[in-house]
Amino acid sequence: MAAGGNNRSRLLLVILLVTSLFLITLDLRGVSLTKGSRNATQSVLAPIQRGFSDFFSPVGNFFSDIKNFGKTKSEVKDLKAENAKLKTQLVINADIQGQLAKLKGVLNLAGRGGFKVVAARVIGRGSASTFSQTITIDAGSSDGVSKDMTVMSDVGLVGVVKAVSSSSAIVLLMSDPTFRIGVRIAGSQSVGVLQGEGSSHYNLQLLDAAGTINHHDVILSLGSDNNHPFVPGIPIGYVSSVDHKNASLTQTATVTGYSDLNGLGVVSVILQAPAGDPKDSLVPKPTPTATIYVTSSAKPDTATVNSTLKPSPLPTSTLKKATK
Amino acid sequence: MSWSRAGISALFLLFIFVLQEAAISKVNLPIGGFSLYLAVLLGLMALEDRSGAIVLGFIGGLILDLSPSVESPVGKWAFVLTIIGYIFSTNRESIGDFTQRPVAFVFFTALGSVLTLLAFLFIGLLLGENNGSVWHNFATVFGNGIWTLIFSPILLPLLVKWRALTLTSRERQ
Repeated sequence: MAAGGNNRSRLLLVILLVTSLFLITLDLRGVSLTKGSRNATQSVLAPIQRGFSDFFSPVGNFFSDIKNFGKTKSEVKDLKAENAKLKTQLVINADIQGQLAKLKGVLNLAGRGGFKVVAARVIGRGSASTFSQTITIDAGSSDGVSKDMTVMSDVGLVGVVKAVSSSSAIVLLMSDPTFRIGVRIAGSQSVGVLQGEGSSHYNLQLLDAAGTINHHDVILSLGSDNNHPFVPGIPIGYVSSVDHKNASLTQTATVTGYSDLNGLGVVSVILQAPAGDPKDSLVPKPTPTATIYVTSSAKPDTATVNSTLKPSPLPTSTLKKATK
Repeated sequence: MSWSRAGISALFLLFIFVLQEAAISKVNLPIGGFSLYLAVLLGLMALEDRSGAIVLGFIGGLILDLSPSVESPVGKWAFVLTIIGYIFSTNRESIGDFTQRPVAFVFFTALGSVLTLLAFLFIGLLLGENNGSVWHNFATVFGNGIWTLIFSPILLPLLVKWRALTLTSRERQ
């Protein structure tokens, strides 16, 4: 009896494995049935995700906030000051205020590049078990969004539209390991390929053997044929470290992205790019960083204050304090 | 495993899948994140006989293949989870009744979650997919195992009770 049961289960195993392999083969051959099933699921899930998005947005980053809280005393001090400001804003409705600010930034950047865009709210994230890094946005084919469109935030590139339903779309984030984009270095015009690494850092490989990469170089998208999937001139990030390997033919570097892909609230999908290349017009303007040094003197109640202004490669301004 | 229970289990897994995609994945847990769906599926598979575990693995894998955020081909999760279902059921027979050994049940489910993700990565390599950086994959697999270990003691007793409700009178005997 037991042997009979074992044989039955083995036969069942073989049948189901062959069925799975058959499905994999169909999918790899591009049969629309398999792709259609995922689009149907997305259509069903999108309204539910939208509902949960409003409910989960205050608690979504709870654990990461705990992890980062209290790294340094100065950070805590800054955060407390910032928190006081935020509390005031919360009375009005911090969530809507933040989304409006992001939307303004997104439209500002899109406007500078002359892009025709549609703004969208992030309503879902890729599951932790799928290994792919995606977000779901609440704009779909009814808003003019189609596959292979560039998606950007208020500071730079976010990813590319992977799948579209009538009211939502899946965006493959640029941090996904399968993500690759042709890029150029602002200023030097050297071209290369940028690849996602699963984090906020990206691997850049130059295609030009004579080209050089420098620290803090700004990386922009190179653009594709007919602007699909990528439009040219979108800021991606800046070079945070250059690899000095004598053995490799071309130079490689690590790039830190401008967009915080974990904290995306509002993004915009580029529906139409301008006729000409925006060149380097979208390169973030260096914001001066104010550094204030306070030196105490021998006399009581007196101190010397020296301040200096330095341009920063980041599109944000920071205030450092040094007290002696 | 009866047809009716296979159907009920599939509907239950579909509900958990929607919950995972719409809610659980919105919570940014540190080190990788937690897959409620995998934990529930592996918990149910551990309670089934050999054929039941294989069928549940296949159904569960097919549902996971429908996830719009999955980049891999349709059928890959079904393939991986069918194999895991078989491995689960053969090893389960040597351990005995899990309802009497809750600690073993928790560890078995957490280990199963790690094994499933590793098998998924391995099959991906065989299919020529780019799995990304080793460190990122390690964090996802390890994180999932840890979170499954943490949440399973709450989850698994509920699963045992739910399964008892779906058993037919013949299966109870």
